[in-house]
Amino acid sequence: MLALTRKVNESIMIGNDIEITVLDIKGDQVKIGIKAPKSVPVYRKEIYLQILESNKEAASSEINDEALKDLFK
Amino acid sequence: MLVKTRHFGEIDLDENKIINFEQGILGFEECKRYAILYDNESGDRPDISWLQSLDEPALAIPVISPFLIKPDYNPIVEDELLNSLGELTPDNLIVLVSVTVPGDITRISANLKAPFVINTDIRKGCQVIVENMDYEIKYYFYNQLKASKAGKEGKSC
Repeated sequence: MLALTRKVNESIMIGNDIEITVLDIKGDQVKIGIKAPKSVPVYRKEIYLQILESNKEAASSEINDEALKDLFK
Repeated sequence: MLVKTRHFGEIDLDENKIINFEQGILGFEECKRYAILYDNESGDRPDISWLQSLDEPALAIPVISPFLIKPDYNPIVEDELLNSLGELTPDNLIVLVSVTVPGDITRISANLKAPFVINTDIRKGCQVIVENMDYEIKYYFYNQLKASKAGKEGKSC
């Protein structure tokens, strides 16, 4: 992983159109500003991982046919 | 074309039923072609379908319409995230949410946070994460669905 040291209000460019700015640092919390085209999804990683996990769980659903049919008939 | 499926064995699928998820779906990025399959043995279309991968036969995600369990479902999504789906209209838009069915069916849940959005005209789909803070990844709906079905049956009698 590339590691860059930045101070408050300094930025990093990713490609031509994504800009990451350190807005504020308070103790162990960093406020980050992200400027990116709206077509680029930006997610907190926890959410991203939860959705990924949810998809995998859904895909491994134990399908008890009768009970399921009964519920959705 | 003949395709192998997880729940329906090998089936003959009309090629115009193929839905392309160009970005794949989270956790299964390699699988990009899907079809919506359901059991029509009884003649009526059931409320539950499967988003069956055509690249990986073992991958089939149970899906339902979110409106079945949340009639006021109103996901908020940045328009640009849906750009690749072309022009969405009430006639070509399908929204589905995945369902997780654990061993105990009363713990069945739906993912209201990350619906599948499909344009049926151009047969393209994507999974988006909606901005609604109150939409849960695990929305438990067993009792509610049972109650609403019981209500409907009561009325028709």
